Amino acid sequence: MSAIDEPYKLSAGLLAAAVHGVFFALLYFGFNWQTLPATPMSVDLWQSLPGGAAPTPIIEQPVVEPVIEPKIEPKVEPKVEPKVEPKVVEPPKPEIALSDKSRPKPKPVETKPEKPVATASVTNGVVNGAAKAVANVSTENSSMAREAAEKAAATGRMLDEYRAKISAKIHRNIVMPPEVADDARAEFLVTLLPGGSVLSARLTRSSGNAAYDNAVERAILKSQPLPLPAEVALFNKFRELALVFKPVE
Amino acid sequence: MEVTQDLSFIHLIVNASLLVQLVMGLLLLVSMTSWWYIFLKMFSIRREIRLTSEFEESFWHNQNLTELYKHANNTAPRELGALERIFAAGFVEFIKLRKLHGVDAAAVMEGTRRAMRATYQREMDRLEAHLAFLASVGSVSPYIGLFGTVWGIMNAFRGLANVGQATLAHVAPGIAEALVATAMGLFAAIPAVLAYNRYAHEINRLSTRFESFTEEYSNVLQRQP
Repeated sequence: MSAIDEPYKLSAGLLAAAVHGVFFALLYFGFNWQTLPATPMSVDLWQSLPGGAAPTPIIEQPVVEPVIEPKIEPKVEPKVEPKVEPKVVEPPKPEIALSDKSRPKPKPVETKPEKPVATASVTNGVVNGAAKAVANVSTENSSMAREAAEKAAATGRMLDEYRAKISAKIHRNIVMPPEVADDARAEFLVTLLPGGSVLSARLTRSSGNAAYDNAVERAILKSQPLPLPAEVALFNKFRELALVFKPVE
Repeated sequence: MEVTQDLSFIHLIVNASLLVQLVMGLLLLVSMTSWWYIFLKMFSIRREIRLTSEFEESFWHNQNLTELYKHANNTAPRELGALERIFAAGFVEFIKLRKLHGVDAAAVMEGTRRAMRATYQREMDRLEAHLAFLASVGSVSPYIGLFGTVWGIMNAFRGLANVGQATLAHVAPGIAEALVATAMGLFAAIPAVLAYNRYAHEINRLSTRFESFTEEYSNVLQRQP
């Protein structure tokens, strides 16, 4: 009886093995396929976005910056790095820093009569309004340069404001693990997508307490979407944020 | 992101607890065997249907029973279909009883039918072999897989109790590896149930064909001079 099945035994066995091979290959590649794509896909996406969406703002900036370079540069550039840390700890500080910034502004009166006109007209109403209040005091010619300076300062202020908003939002979401040293200090490099969602939050410097690092990372992810300024041009400044977190507020 | 990378299929199996691994191994074995039987039965039933049709055709086209018997006798036993064997058994018994004097026609037919009945039952038994295995794989292996899953999830939650902060990242790998057992159980069960139902139906049809052939063949024998 069993002799009759004989010729099929081998082929049936091979087919059964083949079915399982296919099934496991499906499972194996299915799982890998799901895990991999996150990083490479998103990089491609936002390379193209700012180019199409905000060509005008990009042209604006080179015009503004050479004008105010001597005065603005020390304000905008160094501010990005050191300001993050005090801001996280004491939100009021940026206010003081900003008022400092507004004082030197009336000085850059002398240069550039023509070019800033074009740029100032492009800027939004809020900036213009703030600039006009200052402009009323001084002469027509100088007011334009001042407007440009004011605008850049407003941009810087906006950057600081939103940085403060972002870290405040994240701070609210941190679930503090027990026994975190007061001097713990975790640094994160957060990469954002337009719209405020977090592409990645990378720990650049651990606080030495893994639970705290994890809590911060979770808080960053939980805070999505992060508050971002409405202007598309400004998003470039928020694409990569270096944030510092300390347990003591 | 690191969490997702740990979820590769191999990791899931390697990191599972011992009992879950045993369950998975058992299921793999069961699934292998059941697929083996599925293909084995598929081939042999197909062959049986083909041989039955061939023999029926030659039987109805060629009414010379001795010639048919000679053909059946000359072919190797493993090449014979079930129907041809039933025919041969009936024919041999009929000739033997005919040669004995003093046996009346009714008794000859009775003996012939008994001989055919015996061969028919033996052939049915051969055709139905292993079908019970497919049926029990179909009904039991989901439960085995479920058992592995329940055990794995129990472990995952017990491990969770030791962690202060419970996050999805802590629970997810444990549950995923536990669920692999259910997936394997279902993978073994679904084809087994389908195959069982299909083969049972096909064997049923074959048996009807055998039985009606037996009746018709008895009539043909009875008409023999």
